[in-house]
Amino acid sequence: MSMLRASSTSDGLLALFEESGRNVERTGSLLRDLLDDFPERSSLARDILICEQEGDRITHDIIHAMSTNGSKLDQRDAYELARALDDVVDYAEETADSLELYGVEAPMQQAQELAAVLADASVSVAEALAHLRAGEDVSTQLIEIHRLENEGDRISREAIASLFKSGTDPMVVIRWKDIFESLEQAIDACETVAHVIEGMQLKRR
Amino acid sequence: MQESQRALSAVAPASVPNVTGVRVQPGPIRLAVIDTDSGFVRVLAKRVGEMGWQHRVFTAPPRAEDLLSMRLHALIVDLALLGSSGWEFLEQVCDSVPGLGVIVCTGSSSVAQRVRGLRIGADDWITKPCHPQEVIARVEAVVRRRKRSTPGTTEDAPLLAGELEIRADQFQAFVGGQSIDLTRREFELLHLLAKARGRVLERDEIYQHVWGYAMVHGDRSVDVFVRKVRQKVERFSPGWTYIHTHFGIGYRFEPEAPEDEPPESPVDPLDDASEEVESSA
Repeated sequence: MSMLRASSTSDGLLALFEESGRNVERTGSLLRDLLDDFPERSSLARDILICEQEGDRITHDIIHAMSTNGSKLDQRDAYELARALDDVVDYAEETADSLELYGVEAPMQQAQELAAVLADASVSVAEALAHLRAGEDVSTQLIEIHRLENEGDRISREAIASLFKSGTDPMVVIRWKDIFESLEQAIDACETVAHVIEGMQLKRR
Repeated sequence: MQESQRALSAVAPASVPNVTGVRVQPGPIRLAVIDTDSGFVRVLAKRVGEMGWQHRVFTAPPRAEDLLSMRLHALIVDLALLGSSGWEFLEQVCDSVPGLGVIVCTGSSSVAQRVRGLRIGADDWITKPCHPQEVIARVEAVVRRRKRSTPGTTEDAPLLAGELEIRADQFQAFVGGQSIDLTRREFELLHLLAKARGRVLERDEIYQHVWGYAMVHGDRSVDVFVRKVRQKVERFSPGWTYIHTHFGIGYRFEPEAPEDEPPESPVDPLDDASEEVESSA
């Protein structure tokens, strides 16, 4: 796969994307820890909220940089990438917030598995964006993100199906269906990041 | 399964007077009715509602495990509604929902049918047409008898285990007279395990009893609450082990003293009560 070479004018933008990738990685890691040790480490939700605010700040900076500086990056691609990265953090924060909002007392194993998948996908996203800035090959990371998205899709489908067994508390169904869906959307957003990066690379061939 | 639910006030008076002024057991009776006779069901539901009972009406038989999860005191069933599968349903319910009072309330029947129903496990048999007030009185009687005959009559008696005193009458556990500050759900979990002392309870079984619903695969509620209970108990009774994990299965309650301390005294005056409960669990 060809590599995207960063010009001096686009490096500032790529640096911001790399920063956004690190923020995604931290968010994924925090959410995984939150669910692994829930409810003992519920306070991590506050750290995730800070990541979400930081993500908004970076997205704003990216859009500002796009409008003020010339860049070899396609503006639509840059905008799509910024939005997808913002979505990852937003859905992760929504998940963390739902745990408190819905008064969840204990985690579900499937939610822990989905959070682990999201954390791994977030690492790959951060690596891909670092490699993108350095002009290195990102195919390994993109393949891994696609694999993880498939894994997340499988876990999510099975998890939602398990909620609809007879005799289940309807409140459990309401709570966890929403939480599983927001986790899946966060993972899907990682895949969108991968798609946009792949498209950017194809255009540079 | 068609179902109409008329769960009324969740909190009923501590003791509810019936029409004859006799006070029946404290707390609301939880009743399910399987019947399609709308007139009869409407009047019955109205009256039990006024008495603060919680009730559900089914027009088709629910599964036995669903009845179990409702934690009912009594079930009124019209066998005529169930057709040829009525006996099978009755047998299944009587076998798999321990403690449930079952009252058959149906149209005309032969002596042989009534004898068969009672031998299968029904607690009472009422022939329609009947007055709803008589049905209510019979439900009260069945529930009262069940309560007396269940070894769980000692349910309110304190359970002594190691340094722990588990008091159902106060929904709390104590060490040396000091409350260990359990929440209602934590107490119910500890009480359930302690009543089944020495026996491994599966996670699904624990969840069904404490939460009142079927456990969803992967739900970690039982593990989290066991962890919370252990932490609270450990704070007040350090060194003792009460709840043992059986990996992949569930939990077992058995107090174990710290290695350098003597075992629990076998002559504790309250041991009899706890043993009695244990044997019934």
